Amino acid sequence: MDFTQTQEGAFLVLMVTGRMDTLTAPQFEAKCLACLEAGSKRLVVDLSSLEYISSAGLRSILSAAKKLKAAGGDLAFCALSGIVAEVFAVSGFNKLLPVLPTREQALARP
Amino acid sequence: MSLRVRGLALRLSALVLTAAGAVLLAIVLTTYFLAREALLHYAEINARNKAQALVNRIESVLTPIPAVVLGTVYDIEDLSPALSDADIYKRLRRVLRDNDALYGACLAFEPNGRRPGLQYFSPYVCRTPLGFKNMDLGGPNYRYHAMDWYQIPRELDRIVWSEPYYDDGGGEVLMSTCSVPFHRVVNGKREVAGIATADVSLEWLKRIVAGTSVLDTGYAFLITRNGTYVTHPAAGVAFNESIFSRAEEYGEAHLREIGKDMVRGRSNYVPLKSLHTGKEGFLVYAPLPSTGWSLGVFYPKDELLASVQGLALVTAALGGGGFLALAVLVWFIARGITLPLRRLTVAAREVAGGKLDTPLPELHARDEVRELAESFGNMQASLRDYIRDLTQATASRERMESELRIAHDIQMGILPKIFPPFPDRSELDLFASLTPAREVGGDFYDFFPCGEDQFCFLVGDVSGKGVPAAFYMAVAKTLIKAVAESANAGGARVTDYLPGGVVQAARRCTDPGHILTRANNDLAQDNESCMFVTIFCAVLDLKTGAVRYASAGHNPPVLLRAGKGPEYLPTRQEPVAGAMEGVVYTADTLTLAPGDALLLYTDGVTEAMNPAQELYGEARLLAQARALAGQEPKALCERLGEDVHAFAAGAEQSDDITMLVLSYLGPGANAG
Repeated sequence: MDFTQTQEGAFLVLMVTGRMDTLTAPQFEAKCLACLEAGSKRLVVDLSSLEYISSAGLRSILSAAKKLKAAGGDLAFCALSGIVAEVFAVSGFNKLLPVLPTREQALARP
Repeated sequence: MSLRVRGLALRLSALVLTAAGAVLLAIVLTTYFLAREALLHYAEINARNKAQALVNRIESVLTPIPAVVLGTVYDIEDLSPALSDADIYKRLRRVLRDNDALYGACLAFEPNGRRPGLQYFSPYVCRTPLGFKNMDLGGPNYRYHAMDWYQIPRELDRIVWSEPYYDDGGGEVLMSTCSVPFHRVVNGKREVAGIATADVSLEWLKRIVAGTSVLDTGYAFLITRNGTYVTHPAAGVAFNESIFSRAEEYGEAHLREIGKDMVRGRSNYVPLKSLHTGKEGFLVYAPLPSTGWSLGVFYPKDELLASVQGLALVTAALGGGGFLALAVLVWFIARGITLPLRRLTVAAREVAGGKLDTPLPELHARDEVRELAESFGNMQASLRDYIRDLTQATASRERMESELRIAHDIQMGILPKIFPPFPDRSELDLFASLTPAREVGGDFYDFFPCGEDQFCFLVGDVSGKGVPAAFYMAVAKTLIKAVAESANAGGARVTDYLPGGVVQAARRCTDPGHILTRANNDLAQDNESCMFVTIFCAVLDLKTGAVRYASAGHNPPVLLRAGKGPEYLPTRQEPVAGAMEGVVYTADTLTLAPGDALLLYTDGVTEAMNPAQELYGEARLLAQARALAGQEPKALCERLGEDVHAFAAGAEQSDDITMLVLSYLGPGANAG
C-alpha cells in the first residue's frame, strides 16, 4: 500500500493505492496520525486506486477518523469504486463518515 | 572421520615429500653427471699428461743416442783413411764406455769403403760380462750389406731405428739398433761410405712401459712403426702380433683405425673397449718422436668413474638420509597441524550429538585452526543461547497454544450447537456452522426464543481476527442476547421456550432494530480499540412467518423462496455496530411462506479465496444457493461449506466461515 499526499487549500489529500488488508491496515492509521502531527487536521482520502479493503482496513479508518475528530479535524473519503465502494456501502461506513463521489466535492465542503 | 584427518596429514606429507624427493633426486643426478663430466675431463687431461710424461721419459734416453752415433760418424768421416783399425775399435770402446745405454756399437763399411779390395769391414764392440769384446761382424757368413739395419738407412740416407729384436748372441736381450749413414767424397761427389750403428738394450723400456701402473686394471703398451707390439700385458703378444693383426683377429675396425693413427705418429684420447681386459675405457696414445714408435695407455672407465660413483653414493646417501629426516619432520608437522583439527572434530561431534557444553580444545598457536576453533566456540555459544531461547519460546508458544485451544473450546462452547434446537417445535428447521480460520475468531451466530412465538436468530462478524476479535465477539454476542432479553420499555411480557421444552415467562425485546441500536450504544462506549462488528439480526414470528430484521453493516442474506430462485435480501446498509454511538437501526419486515428459508452468512464465505487470489463472490454464492434449493438446512450448510472448501482448493482460509440457514415450515400444531 502506497500513499501520495498533496495539499489542496485547507485539505491534505492522501491518495491510497494497493490493498488495505490485515497486514497493511495499520499503515493507514499511522499515516493519518503522522499527517495530524505534521499539522494537517482535515484529510481527504482518495480511494480511487484502492483495490481491496478488509474489515481490518475499516477498523483502521474508523480509528483514524476518531482520533482526527478528537483533535478537531475530520477525515473524508472520495472517489470510491468497485469492491471498496461496495464494502463501504454494506458496512454502513457511508453513513458514519463523510464519503463523497469526487475529490472536488470533498474539497468543496465548508 | 579420523581416517580422513589422518588422510590430510598423509596428503600434506606426501605432497611435501614428493616435491622434496624430486628436488633431491634432481640434485643427486645433476651432481653425479656434472661430477662425472668433470672427472672424465680431468681424467683425459691427466691421461694425456701421463702418457706424455712416459714418452718424455723414454725419449730422454733414446734422443741422445743418434747424437752419440753422429759423433762417431763425424770422426770417421773426417779421419777415416787416417785412422787405423785399432783406433776405430778404440773409439768404439770409448763410445760404449761413455754411454751406458749402448749395448754395442759398430762401423760397417761399404765394400771397398775402408780400403780398396776389402769387401767387408765392420768393426764391432759389444759389452759382455767379461768386458768389452772386439769383433768384425762381416764376412762370407754374415753379408751385412744385405741386412735391413744396413740397407734401409743407406738407401734412405738418414738415421733409422730398427724394429726391436731379440739379440741372439748377447743373451736374449731386447734390442733396437740406431743406424746412421756416414759419407766420403769421391771425385768431388758425396756418397755413403758405410753405416754406424749403436745397439740399444730395450729391457729398461720394457720395464718402464710394463711397469707403468694405470689404476688397477689399466695398462700401457708400445708398438713400432709397423704396429707390432713391443710390450703388451698379455703373454705372447709382444713381437708375435701387431695392433692390426689383433684388430683383424677380433674384428675390431675401430682398433685398426686407432692403429693407423698411432702408426702415423699422432696422439689422441679415444674411447675403447680393451681386448685384453674386456673393459670399456679410454685409450691415450702418443708417438715416440725419435723412433716413430707409439705408446698407448688404456684407462678402464669404471675405475676412472669409481670416485664419481662413490661421490654419487655419498650424495644419494646424504639425500636419502635428509629425505628420511624431512619425512619424519614433515609427518610430525602435519600431525601437529592436524592434531588440533582432530581434537576439534571430536569436540564438534560431541556438540553435534547435543552436548552443547562440551569444552572445546584449548589451542595456543595463533593460526587458522585456532580461528576455526574460536568461530566454532562462538557458534557453540550462539547455538546454546539459541536453543535456550528456542526452548523458552517453544514452551511459551505451547502455553499460548494450549490457552488458545482452551479459548477455542470456550468460544465454541458459547455457540448453540444442538440441532435441531427445538425438536418439539415443528415451525422451523435451523442449522448453523462456524469454521474459524484460526483457533479463535470473531464470527458468531446465535438463536433463541425471545417471547411468545418469537424466535430471534442472528449472525455477526467482528472486524479483525484472532484473540481480540474473539473477545469482542464474546462481548457482542452476550450483549445482544442480554439486550434482547432485557425487560425495558421496548420489551413485551412473553413466554420463553427454552431448549428442552422448558417454558418460562419473561419480558422480551422483539424489535431487531431496537436490539441493534442498544447493543451498538453499549459496544461503542469506551471502544478505544475501534473494533466493530457487523450483525444481521432477525426475529421470526412462528405463527405468521413474519420476519423483522435489521442489519448493522452486514452482508445481505440470501432469501430462498420455495419454488423460486434465490435472491439477496435488500438491507438498509446501516453502519457497523460498535463504531459510533447514537446510530439508530431500522427494522424491515418480510413474510416467509412455509418452505421459504433464509441463508445468513459472513464474508468468510463470499471472500474465500482460491490460490489464484479469486474471491468466491456473491454471484457464485447465489448460483450455489440455487443449485441447493429445497435442501434441508443442515444439508444446505454442509454442501455450501464443501463448495467453498473446494473453491479454495487448498488455499489458506483467511477468515472465519459462518453460515446459518433457517427454514420456515409453517405454523405447527403446537404453535399456539
